[in-house]
Amino acid sequence: MKTPLLTWLLRLVVMCVVGFLLLPAVVVFIAGFNDRAILSFPPQSFSLRWFERALTYPDFRHGLRNALIVMVWTSTISIVVGAAFAYALNRYEFRLKHTLEAILMSPLMIPHFTIGLGLLMLGTQMGFARTFGIVVFSHIVIVLPFVIRSVYISMQNLDPRLEKAATSLGAPPWRVLVTIVLPLLAPGLFSGWLFAAILSFNEFTGSLFVTSQATQTLPVAMYNYVREYADPTLAALSTIYIVITATLLTIANLYLGLGKVLNVEQSR
Amino acid sequence: MAQPADRPFLRLFVTPSVLVAGGFIASLAVILQYSLRAHIPGELEPGGFSLGNFTDMLKPLYARAFVDTVLICAETAFFTLLLAYPLAFALVRAKSPFLKSLLLVTAVTPLFLGEIVRTYSWIIVLGNTGFVNSVLRGLGLIDQPIQMMFTKFGVVVALVHVTLPVMVIMLSAAISHIDRDYEKAAASLGASPVRTFLTVTLPLSLPGIIAGVTTSFAWTFSAFATPQLIGGGQVSTISTLVYQLGFANFNFPFAAALSFAGLVFTIMVIALLRRAARPLEKMGGHA
Amino acid sequence: MNSLADLPRTTDIAGQPNAAKPAVRIDGVSKAFGDVTALHEAWLAVGRGEFLTLLGPSGCGKTTILNLIAGFLEADSGEIFLDGAPITNDPAHKRQIGIVFQNYALFPHMTVEKNVGYGLRMRGVDKTEIARRVGEALELVKLPGYGGRRPRELSGGQQQRIALARALVIRPKVLLLDEPFSALDKNLRSAMQVELKEIQRSLGVSTVFVTHDQSEALSMSDRIAVMSAGRIRQIAAPGEIYRAPADRFVASFVGDTNIFQATRVSPTSVIVGGFLIDVMPGPLEGTIDGQEVELFARPEELSLTSAGAPGTLPAEVVTKVYQGGYSDFYVTTPLAAERVLVRIHGPAALELWPEGAKIGLVLPKTGANAFPPGE
Repeated sequence: MKTPLLTWLLRLVVMCVVGFLLLPAVVVFIAGFNDRAILSFPPQSFSLRWFERALTYPDFRHGLRNALIVMVWTSTISIVVGAAFAYALNRYEFRLKHTLEAILMSPLMIPHFTIGLGLLMLGTQMGFARTFGIVVFSHIVIVLPFVIRSVYISMQNLDPRLEKAATSLGAPPWRVLVTIVLPLLAPGLFSGWLFAAILSFNEFTGSLFVTSQATQTLPVAMYNYVREYADPTLAALSTIYIVITATLLTIANLYLGLGKVLNVEQSR
Repeated sequence: MAQPADRPFLRLFVTPSVLVAGGFIASLAVILQYSLRAHIPGELEPGGFSLGNFTDMLKPLYARAFVDTVLICAETAFFTLLLAYPLAFALVRAKSPFLKSLLLVTAVTPLFLGEIVRTYSWIIVLGNTGFVNSVLRGLGLIDQPIQMMFTKFGVVVALVHVTLPVMVIMLSAAISHIDRDYEKAAASLGASPVRTFLTVTLPLSLPGIIAGVTTSFAWTFSAFATPQLIGGGQVSTISTLVYQLGFANFNFPFAAALSFAGLVFTIMVIALLRRAARPLEKMGGHA
Repeated sequence: MNSLADLPRTTDIAGQPNAAKPAVRIDGVSKAFGDVTALHEAWLAVGRGEFLTLLGPSGCGKTTILNLIAGFLEADSGEIFLDGAPITNDPAHKRQIGIVFQNYALFPHMTVEKNVGYGLRMRGVDKTEIARRVGEALELVKLPGYGGRRPRELSGGQQQRIALARALVIRPKVLLLDEPFSALDKNLRSAMQVELKEIQRSLGVSTVFVTHDQSEALSMSDRIAVMSAGRIRQIAAPGEIYRAPADRFVASFVGDTNIFQATRVSPTSVIVGGFLIDVMPGPLEGTIDGQEVELFARPEELSLTSAGAPGTLPAEVVTKVYQGGYSDFYVTTPLAAERVLVRIHGPAALELWPEGAKIGLVLPKTGANAFPPGE
């Protein structure tokens, strides 16, 4: 049995950490409803005008549209590429397998500004800088490690004997894939897709390098806004962001079990 | 080597990722190529072969940026670990599923908010008319606002917040895979809860600590918006310099060289951390 | 030809494979994984309707044979025939082989009905026919009416029956069983063994059964192939394997055994402690008269009597274990390096001698086996 004192101490520390995690969100939430144009605490009066401005500011609307376009392409391509690779990684042996894995997983560790700068210069040399193509490609490179990891964990929980059983019953490889592997992998595929979508939508550093005025995504537009204005518009926008993200994650947790996806379930 | 018949989808499944990897490697190759060429002021096209970019990097301005970046990374990793461990521990060991989910969602949400939203939030918290200063002033504890924006302290606080989620995830993964019978065995042998933790749980979670610290280090090194906006030009890191060189001075060769140096440096630090951790990990003794 | 009972019937007596066209024939098949040879040139034939068991410790190559027959592995050399036709290069899904896996491998996202009907759907059988045959298969395994359930709602024994139904409904040319009982508890295991054997016999389906459990092998098989280190050591009916093991490995792996120091006096007899004992012919080929050999005797072939009785070896009771219908006595004797296990039948056998008692150990006059000293 734990000493109650220790338990209480742990609880206190955890509450402080949770407080630290939540503090910015709470502050932003309050600031978003502040009526005054200059950020200050505590707010004197409340209004929704910054929400209105956030939703009508042309750069944000344009950025949102771009971010959604990039997000849909990125997440869809990433889940196909990543899931296929995760399958091969888990089930097959092939030449240079671990080299390929190391390259694809490296963006987890490689600075995003390096990735962004590299792709910007590559795009310039090959004549497709300033296109959506280069933005989507940079996002794919950045989110792919997360997708591969998410699907790979699901693959590990997929008993190869199920595929063998289906094969012995006469299913050719592609039917095994469609009738056994894909249905059983669906939660992992969905969470991988969701990860990719959220990460792509929020990707900033890489995007800053590879986007142009025309392809600028919402985070880049927000960055430019912070540098120019000090009013609480961004606080309002951040509030919307936080609410949507937390809601999505709560839903994901309910239906998919984030603990399983992130591999943090207690093993016994 | 398995026969082709055992791997019906090999080509189909691996080719797309080979293409992605190829494009990515090509971009790194371009960086390397640019970094070895001279910058002609006023021109976007780089000049001929030169090692000048790398010798320029030894100038105090850049050397200091390297040192500052490493210090920020190290401090961030340390404080992140300190805060993340109790949370990860509570998250894994919480008995109520509701509390577990609550902690998990709270811990993970910031990961998905993106750099700008998080950084901006900290500007409001740390600013001179921001939350902390307003509260302290309201309580009559200070007269003059404490300067936290545009300081290394502010940058580190915000970065700890940035890397906390990923550290929590990695620590939780490690702690959740510790067989609780080890702890029961230690307790049955007479170890107090504190000693059980120090002699059993902590060493067994070392792989997670190492993974968390390296990732935190790499992410902090990569962070741009936070040092740029909260540091406000007073704190120079490699990332802010690369951006400045590229987009303010259009000196792409030097930006590439600095990126390349940063990349090599990251790889070295991570390799070093892992190497240093190896004997520790062995001590942790996973069966 | 529309019901399970229409499977090709066995005309052979168990244990006598139809040499002309066995259900499965493995001709000199080898398989290596990297530097490790999992199977050394195996030769094996499974007769029509025969229940053949591959028995051996883990890593002996029995699962490799199973995977080679199923088509999950490709042989490095040799040829595999199914009903006389070579299938060595056929992909696994075209082999018409039924498999019951250790964990049953029921598809968790499908109902029992969909699981059992899976193989028929893959063959493009029409819906009403599938429904009929699935119903029949569920009857056969005594689970009619379970079609709508999910695998996770079933007990271990029920899951196994469904797995069996799923494998049989495609009318396999051979049924492969990969340690199917190891996940069941002891009582259920015996019941399922009997039931499986009944179904197998009634359908006459040729079966290859993989196990490391010797009692399972002895009780269920028509013939047993004992394997170790990638080689088939002996293929014979259970009784023969037990009574006349081909080598030391088979003798010690199948059933309990005791080893005594002996001296060869002829190809079919040895002397142990001054007593002449007749042994099975064969294993002593290659040794010479007067050579040191070892006598292998089963626990039930030995008996105990009072110390000093004529025709006995001196021995001492070390431990005794009550087993219900019989008792196990562990005794020491100078002629055996290890403790000797003696099995005495009768519910009161335990009371015969106390621990520590000096007694006389009686060796069998005939029927035991002697082998050259080995590893």
